[in-house]
Parts: sequence; structure tokens; C-alpha cells
Amino acid sequence: MSRRLLLLAVLVLLAAAPLLLPDFYVTLMNYIGLASIVTLGLVLLTGVGGLTSFGQAAFVGISAYTSAVLTTRYGISPWLSLPACLLLTLPISLFLGFITLRLSGHYLPLGTIAWGIAIYFLFGNLEILGKYSGIAEIPRLSIFGWSLGGGRQMYYLIWAVTLVALLAAGNLLDSRVGRAIRALKGRTTMAQSFGVDTNRLKIILFVYAALLAAMSGWLYAHFLRYVNPSPFSLNASIEYLFMAVIGGSTQVWGAIIGATLLTMLKEWLKDILPRITDQSGNYEIVVFGLLIVLMLHRTREGLVPYFSALLPAEKPVLARPTTPPLPARVQPQRGEPLLEVEGATKRFGALAAVSSLSFEVRAGEVLGLIGPNGAGKSTVFNLMTGVLAANEGEIRFRGERIENLSARAIARRGMARTFQHVNIVPSMTVLENAAFGAHLRGHAGVAAASLRLDRPEEALLRHEAAQQLDRVGLGKNLFDQASTLPLGSQRMLEVARALCADPMLLLLDEPAAGLRYLEKQALADLVRRLREEGVSVLLVEHDMEFVMGLVDRIVVMNFGEKLAEGSPREIQNNPAVVEAYLGSVA
Amino acid sequence: MKRTLLLSLAAAVAFATGAAARDNILVGVTLGATGPGASLGIHYKNAFQLIPRTLGGRPVEFIILEDKTDPTEAAKNARKLIGEEKVDAIMGSNSVPSTTQIAQIATEAKTPMIALAPVALPHEKLGWVFTTPQPVALMMGAVVEDMKKKGVKTVGYIGFSDSWGDLVLKALKKHAEPAGIKVLTDERYARADTSVTGQVIKLLSADPDAVVVGGSGTGGALPHIGLVERGYKKPIYHNHGTVNREFIKVGGKKVEGAIAPTGPLIVPEDLPADNEVKPVASDFTKRYEDKFGEGTRNAFGGYSYDGYLLLNAAVPAALEKAKPGTPEFRQALRDALEDAKNVVGTHGVYNMSPEDHTGLDERARVLVIVDDGKWRLKK
Amino acid sequence: MSFNIALWLSQDAITNGAIYALLALALVAVYTVTRVIFVPQGDFISLAALSLATLQAGLVPGTVYLLIGGGLLITAIDGVAVLRKKKLKRFAAIALENIALPAVIAGAAVWSASRPEDILLQVAVTLAIVTPMGPMLYRLAFQPVANAPILVLLIIAVAVHYMLTGMALVFFGGEGVRTQLLPDISFQLGVLNITGQSLAVIITSLVLIVLLAILFGSTVYGKALRATALNRTGARLVGISSEFTGRLSFALAALIGAASGILVSPFTTIYYDTGFLISLKGFVGAIIGGMTNYPLAALGSLLVGFLESFSSFWASTFKESIVFTLIIPVLLWRSLTTHRVEEDEEP
Repeated sequence: MSRRLLLLAVLVLLAAAPLLLPDFYVTLMNYIGLASIVTLGLVLLTGVGGLTSFGQAAFVGISAYTSAVLTTRYGISPWLSLPACLLLTLPISLFLGFITLRLSGHYLPLGTIAWGIAIYFLFGNLEILGKYSGIAEIPRLSIFGWSLGGGRQMYYLIWAVTLVALLAAGNLLDSRVGRAIRALKGRTTMAQSFGVDTNRLKIILFVYAALLAAMSGWLYAHFLRYVNPSPFSLNASIEYLFMAVIGGSTQVWGAIIGATLLTMLKEWLKDILPRITDQSGNYEIVVFGLLIVLMLHRTREGLVPYFSALLPAEKPVLARPTTPPLPARVQPQRGEPLLEVEGATKRFGALAAVSSLSFEVRAGEVLGLIGPNGAGKSTVFNLMTGVLAANEGEIRFRGERIENLSARAIARRGMARTFQHVNIVPSMTVLENAAFGAHLRGHAGVAAASLRLDRPEEALLRHEAAQQLDRVGLGKNLFDQASTLPLGSQRMLEVARALCADPMLLLLDEPAAGLRYLEKQALADLVRRLREEGVSVLLVEHDMEFVMGLVDRIVVMNFGEKLAEGSPREIQNNPAVVEAYLGSVA
Repeated sequence: MKRTLLLSLAAAVAFATGAAARDNILVGVTLGATGPGASLGIHYKNAFQLIPRTLGGRPVEFIILEDKTDPTEAAKNARKLIGEEKVDAIMGSNSVPSTTQIAQIATEAKTPMIALAPVALPHEKLGWVFTTPQPVALMMGAVVEDMKKKGVKTVGYIGFSDSWGDLVLKALKKHAEPAGIKVLTDERYARADTSVTGQVIKLLSADPDAVVVGGSGTGGALPHIGLVERGYKKPIYHNHGTVNREFIKVGGKKVEGAIAPTGPLIVPEDLPADNEVKPVASDFTKRYEDKFGEGTRNAFGGYSYDGYLLLNAAVPAALEKAKPGTPEFRQALRDALEDAKNVVGTHGVYNMSPEDHTGLDERARVLVIVDDGKWRLKK
Repeated sequence: MSFNIALWLSQDAITNGAIYALLALALVAVYTVTRVIFVPQGDFISLAALSLATLQAGLVPGTVYLLIGGGLLITAIDGVAVLRKKKLKRFAAIALENIALPAVIAGAAVWSASRPEDILLQVAVTLAIVTPMGPMLYRLAFQPVANAPILVLLIIAVAVHYMLTGMALVFFGGEGVRTQLLPDISFQLGVLNITGQSLAVIITSLVLIVLLAILFGSTVYGKALRATALNRTGARLVGISSEFTGRLSFALAALIGAASGILVSPFTTIYYDTGFLISLKGFVGAIIGGMTNYPLAALGSLLVGFLESFSSFWASTFKESIVFTLIIPVLLWRSLTTHRVEEDEEP
């Protein structure tokens, strides 16, 4: 059975459920749907993006209360209150995201805990919100006079919203922005060096999750037709987070699994515990907590992988581009100064890792930057790529000063890099990892991706990625998960990804480390070919043999300073270099 | 996912088939013995251990579910009890928001309900709902009468920051304002607060003739102790949610003289011999303390028990009209509940009518005072 | 508002702030050493206060069973592992620590329950019951996943908090308690009425804070803790076991939680779930300190105390909202003054 058929079967079952199920199960399904929408936001935020929020229930509450007040007090139609709910959630989540997401990871959970509590007490103390007793008799929804009062009618609305949200989120993850989102968890440095504005993306993701929560809140208000503060307390937020964690992190439908399992588990505990003990309620949270701890001890990925294994395998296909290929950059004139480092100094406390270093890379050449361990090569690399800021000196790219630019801005100007320690997104396929490099060559945003309007562009990006992968010899591995590649191939994948950015200057950070002899040969061939195409390459390397046969010029560093500069032959005969470096190797 | 769906579908279809009439009666109960209202909910739940398993001579099964004092959970329970178990009546819960949720659902589903806490809905919406606790206004009426006797002109209020705190204040204002007593402050605190110094100082600087505390259980002790420690010597009133042994245990000497309205079952020993409620209240209090320990008597268990007594009185009439498990039976039970007259409970005498679904009068309230470490009837 | 009122409120603020500061320090210690955002910190407050009250009522608190149960569980897990490797000595050590020690404490609890007058013994027994729960929790819940991302540790912490709250409800019921520690002594200092209890809180907090500073600053354990906090891998390389420092920091957290519980229980009513809200205010203090800076965390907690006290006077209905909203300007300020994102955490 193909996935398509399975999906169809699930849809038919979902559509038929209210006709077959007794009332209570329809109600339960409604709760599951409402929770799934909120949890979906958390799966994106927490599972995929690695950001944790304890404030989702607060967003549900803001929206539910907004609709309750607008419809009961001002008699506004619930359909008109929906945009109001979303419009109110937007600035609040933007602001919260802005103040917490620039800080390190634990501020978002802690900040949202505090905000969740604050808003709960605010709900309970405002006269207009009915204080702690809440607002009753919220009107039903109706479509063209057809009332959606009963659980069965609401079922269709709730699940339609759930499925649409699920589909949109799935689309989003399978896109240019989606790849960037999937790199947020632990790969922000890499993402930035390919031009992703990770801070902005984090905020977008947070707002996206908040809006999903708001959507659920609006449905909640008109499904239960009664709001009071307690369903929007910190505990409720924690429950949503549990759902996201249980269901799983990497797949959007983990949200439904999590919401279903947790809701069912609670019902089941409610039924089973009274038979074992008198104090049913007391043990419920104990057993519940215990199960969560045990599950996280066994699997951090949630239960999605177990369900994934049940699904039939899908054969991926590479869509053919229908539009003209991606425009390529015009490479600068051969010999023109491309990157100039002048008097660059970087101190860490009292230690100068790099001091007054000057050298330049000319267009069309392959420059080697070598030096013994601890010579400061990596620091120079980080200065050039904007990961670190220099204390003194200038760095110019095509005459423009870049020493104070961010990694992102530098990427935009035509530099692409690889990483000394392989820095790929392990859960993505080889193709997706390579396509990441082309991030700046595409433009489709969150909305276009969710609505699948990005397909022509996406086909181009993927096509480009496939071509570059072919070039580095990974053409057969397009759809393998990147983490399954051997180390050498992962390094080549990094090169392919950098090439997808169509760079003027390619910065390779110890690309030969861990490569076998034949792989090194292939890499060297590739670099030579790139040089012929006019791409300039800066090679930071340890492997002398590899460098000597490949580069046009060499800069040697020692103790943070330039020791020598010249052609490979000159360097080989330089006594200082022999003393400091080659001597020590020999 | 598909498997889960199929399983739940299969389970659901199996359940769906059992909706026919039956001989025994099913009563669904949802209470929160955990969560913020746990201290009350536990007593509510305890009472079900003392409740006989027959209603009007018919065997009855109580299905008791836990709602964690969470209205969403309570609503889920109510739908489960009504939709899945097809209960003949539903009872619950121990907080106002939860009870309000259940009342909405019960009314929609046309299932008679015994509300065990006040409901925040207008009377017109409560066609199927009958409430056992005294309306807060009835109780605060007694407090205000006592104030009038003492010549109190101004009163300070401090209450929980929850729906209970809201309700007590509302009821206090309802009686105080016509009596010419001014409510000077509306201070709030949370049960879990470590200190109410700020609120107490505010109260003291307003210098009212009396203070009303809108807390419940041991939570009522914190402001009382704070007031006494700072030298407040005028009367401090509480409400019927506060009256239990733990309040005195926590407050010790400092809550001596605390006055509160409550139901007769707290002080059956002090009631005159001709009091109608005395035998029922004495019996229940004795059985409760036999089971759960000396001094464990409280108002909340009584609300559950009175709910049972109401159903017990109404069921025979309903049984004459229809069989349990049918909509006709539920309709008949509702009508019988509305007709219930002179049902003597632990808290008072219930006389229901279409206009009054609580049915309690002054007989359902007494003022008690902490005297030598015990709640005693205030003479 | 008169000067007197401000003085009274400040007195209250300092008493509460001292408790929050203690908790904030424990939270910072646990976070820096183990990366666990220790949500269950507050549960120790409730467990300690309720245990103490139970002892004073002449009963043996249920927490004793928790201690024994936890010990047996650890012995079963660790003991079986070492027995398989035939390390009998190691097994004996494990059994001693996890079976004999809880048994001794249980014995002391039974003895203490029979002596309701001996307050010092009750306090000692309460500390002895609650403190070992810290390392036990670490062993059972956190050590198996010590290297997991912060998020996973946080979720486990929340789940553990649920369990502890549930247990506290099972053992002690839903009603609140107060304890009696010192006789009700008080004296006037100007307009201030200084009670022995509030003095005890402030002095004990200060003493504990000084002791913590000494522990961290000059003892070998403190150095191990600091080393682990600075660089986990490095500390392991020089032979500091991260399991050891983890348990030590949790023991510290439990001890501080228990001490706080004992300190606040005479002047406020403690419920099975009270501790959580108290510790959340410690959290706000700790966040002001960036979760890593001890003095700032302590100062932040004091600020929380003041804010709480004054807002309870001015607008008690919005007190909690005000206290917890405090975090927003703090975060805003931190966000505007921080330029560099921290290094990626390995997923």
C-alpha cells in the first residue's frame, strides 16, 4: 500500500468517525484536534527548531478570551473575531520572541514560564474577562445559518483546521525556509554562514507557533463556549509540551500522535487507577510523570520513529526544473585582489591568537594557509567569515571592508565555507544538505512554502544541489540520510554545499582531514577544476603534501603571526618554515 | 496512527451498543481531589465512601472520575459520563468554574445534575441543575446580620485570587450595601503566598470595623493571623469554605474568635433538640468521623451527601414513570427533583421549586465561632 | 504611603527575599553544574515543611517511605550491575548508602515522632529525610541522560516535579500546615515589630549563603563543582566525576529546599504544592542573574521580594502578574545588551 493510499484511508476514516463514534469519542477527538494544533506549533518550535516554550497555553488563552469578549460583550460575529485573535497574538508573540530569542537557549523556556503565570493571573483578575469565574455562553459558530453547535459539527471544523495546519507545516519543513528551520537546532553557525538570519527565523517560528495556538484558542472558545483562566495555566502549557515530546520531534504528524496518546493515556489512567487504589487522582499525576521520565530515558525522539517504521517506504523523486536555471555569479577578473587581510589582530583576554596578520587572496588563485597546531589558522578563518570580530585591522572583500559584518552579510557577498568539524544537519538527506548552500539563491518565504507556491524555485535549488553533488561524486547518494555517509563523503558534501552558494571565494577549512588517498585526489582535481572556472579558493590545511601540489601560493602562520609567504617551492626552501613547521613534522 | 484510530473506532463501536434501559441506576460523579481545590475535593470524595449504594431502593452505581479541579477536565468527564456511560444523573464538582462547565453540558444533554458547588450561570440556564451548597449570598447574609447587631459600619475584604474570592465578595456586597455597611477594600492573595503583609497593612490603614476573609480551609488562616499579629482586635469573619479542623490547627490561638457561617452539620451537638436537621447532621458527622478520624468533620462531605439524599428522595417518583437508562427516566428524575419537598439533609431542609433549584432557607445556616480550639455554635 | 508602611513592607520583603535568594542560589548551582533547570526545587520546601509538621503531630511522615523506596530502587539498579561484575565491595557500599542510611533515618524519624517536644531533633530528622532525596533523584531521573540537551533535562525536571507533587498529596493530603519552631518572641525596633521567626529566616539565610560561598570558594568539593560548571569535559578529564558533582549539587539543592521549607513553615501555611510557586519566584531571581551569576541571582531575588511586598500593598489583585512580568524588562535589557549568540549546543 502506498503512502498516498494510506493517507486516503486515514482521511476517509477521519471523515466517517463522527458518523460511527459515540458522542464521547467525538468529543475526545475534538480535544485531540484542538491540542494537535497547539502541539504542532511546538513540534516545529521545539522538536525541529530546538526552542522551548512554556507559554503556548497563554496564547491559546489570549485568543479564546479575545473571541469570548468580542462575541459576548460586543456581539461581534465569531468569524470576525478570528482575525482579531490572530492580530492580537501577532505583536505579543513578536515582542516576546524578540526579547527572549536573541539570548541563549534557556531564556525562552524560563521567560515563557514567567509570562504564562503572569497572564494567567491577569485573566483571573480583569473584570472584563469575568475574573476567575470566566465568561459563559459564548455563541456557537454557524456557517450560512447552519449551526456548528454540536460536537459532531465542530468536529469537522476542528479537524479541517488541524489537517490544513498539518499540511502547511509539512510543506514548510520541506522547503528552503524549512531547511533553515531544521538547522536551528545546534547548527546556527553553519546556517548563518550560508546567509540564514537565524535570529529572525527563530522569531518567525515562535510567531508561527503562537498563531497556531491562537487558532486553537478561537476554536476552543466556540467549542466549549465557556472560558476561565485554568485551561490556560502553566500546567496546560506543560501538557502541550509533553505532547510534543511524546509524539516526537522531527515529523509534523508527531503532533497528532502526541496529542492522541496523551489524551488517551489520561483517560485510560482515569479508568484503570480507581480499580487499583482509592486515591485515584493522586496517583494519576505520579504515574503520568513516571511514564514521561521513562520514555525520555529510552528515546529522545519521541514515538514518531516507531510509527514511521510502520509506514510503507516512499521512493523519492527529483523534480525537473521547469524554469531557466539559476543565474550564476560573474566571477571577478583573474588577478584582481579579492580578499585582503591587513594588520588583523584578535585577542582572547591577554592572549593574542592572531597579531598584525596581513595577506591577500587574488581572484582565480588557490591560496594555502598553513601553520602548525595552535598557529591561529582557525581564528583567522573565523575572522574572515564573520564568526569572530577582529580587535584591530581591516579585512576587505573586493575592496569593501567586512571585518565588522556578520557571517550572513559576508556570505551574501560571495564567500562560502566548509567546516573543520563536519557541520551538516544529520537528519536531512544529502540533497537537502547540499541545497542548503543555495539558500541565498532562492527567495520563497514561509507563506509561499506553506502554500506550495515555491515549487518551481525549489526544483531549481534541488537541481543545482544534485549537480554539485554529482560533481563531488555523491550523485548516487542524493536521498540518503546525511548522517549515514562516511566521514570522507560528509566532507565532500560540505564542499558541494559550499559550491551551491555559487561563491567567488571558497574557503575550505582542513578539507582533506579524514579523507583517504583516492578521495584526496578527487578533491584536488575538483579544486583545480574550480580554479579553471574562475573560482578563487583559500585552503586552510594541515596536510602538506596535499597543499604543496595544489596551491599557487602559500601563507605560513606561526604563533598568530605570518612567518612566510610565497610559492610552494619558496616555502619549502624557507629555513624559518622548515624550522618551525616542516622541521617539527619531519 | 492508523492502528490507533482503528482500535479506538472498534472500541467506540463496542461501547456505542449499550444504551438501552437497565434496572440499576447509574450516577456519574466528577470531583477534583488533586489540583488547586484538592483540600476540598478530598472531603467531597470521602463522603462517597459513606453513601449507601441504593437510590430509592434500587441498586445504584457511582462512577467517580477525577477532574484535578480543572474545568476542561471536568467538562471531559461530564461528556464521558453522559455520552459514554449514559448516566441517569451527574454530580460535581468542587470548584465554581468546573461546576459551571458541567452544568452547561448537563443542560445541553438533558441530564439532571446535582451541583456540588455554586454555578456561575443565571437561573434560566439551570433547568436541569440542582445545587446542594447554600448560596453564598445566604451565608454572607448571616454574616452581615451579625455585623448589624454589632454596629459595624465599615468592612474590609481580603480573599483568594480565584473564583471563590470573587463569589464571597459579591455576596458580601449584596447584603452589606443595603445595610449601609461600606466595603472599604478588595485585597487578594493566593493560597500559596508566603506572606500577606502588604494586604494586611492596607487593611489596617483603612481601619474597618470588621474584616471578611474570602479564603477556604487553611488558606483562610493566613490573613487572620497576619491581622491579629499586627494588633487588629475587631471581629474577623470567614465564610463556609473555611470551617474545618485544619484551619484551627494552623491558626492556633491566633484564630480564637474567628466567626464563620456554615451548615448545621459542623455543630450538631450544639443544636437544640428540636432542630429538624440535627438527627441527619449528627448521624453523618458521626459516621464521617468514625471513618476518617476524630475532628475531620467538614461542610464539603455534607454537600456530596445531601446530593445523594436529594436523588434518593426523587428517584422513586421517577421510577414510576420510566426505566433507568432512558431519556424518559432522566426527564422524570429532573421533574421529581424540582418537586422535592422537605428533604432533610446535613446542611438544611431542601424545598425545590421551578423558581429555586437550591431550596435552602435560613435553617441551612448557623454562625460558628472558634472557641477554645473548636468550632462552636455562636450563641 | 507613610514611611512606617514602607518600613514594614521592606521588612517583609527582606524576609521573603532571603528565602527566594537561597532558592535562586540552589537553582544556579544545579543549572551550572548539571544544566538541569531544576523545576522540582520547590517541592523540597513542601516535603520538608509537611514532614516536619507530621513529626510534630507525633506521626511518621510518608516521605520516609519515599526515601526507603528510592534507596531500594537504586540498590536494585546499581547493585545488580556491580553484582554481575562480582564487585562485592562496591555492592556493599551501594547497599550501605541506599538501604542502611535510609533505614537509620527512618529509625530516627520513628524516634522523633515519639518525642513531639524535641524540636531540634525534628528539624534534624527532616533535613536528614529530605536531603538524600536530591542525589537519589539525580541518580534515578537525570544521571541516565546526563548528556541530553537542556530541553530534555527540563522536560524530565517538569515530570519529576509532577511526581513529587503527586506524592506529597498522597502522603500529606490537600490541607495546609504550619509548624512551631521558636516560641513567639518578638521585640520592637522603632516602629518595626521584629519576630524571632523572621530574624531566624534572615540569619539562617545569611549563614547558609556564607557557607555556600565558603563551600564553593575554598573546599575541594566546591572546586569540583565550579570546574564542572566551567567545563564538563575538562573536569572529567582531570578526574572529576560528573556523576559525583551532579549528586553533590542535587544534595545541595535538596538541603537548601528543606532548610527553606523549615524556615518558612512557622509563619506561612504550606500546602503540598506551595513550594512550586515559592521556587518560581526564586527562578525569577535566578533569571535576573542569568542563571549563572550567584550574587546577581541573590540580588534579583531580593528585588522580587520587594516587588512582591510593595505590589501586595498597592495592587494585591495584580501582585503575581506584576512579579512575573518583572522578567520581561530584565530580558529586554539582557537582549539589547547581548550581542553574541552562545555557541551551538550539540543536538
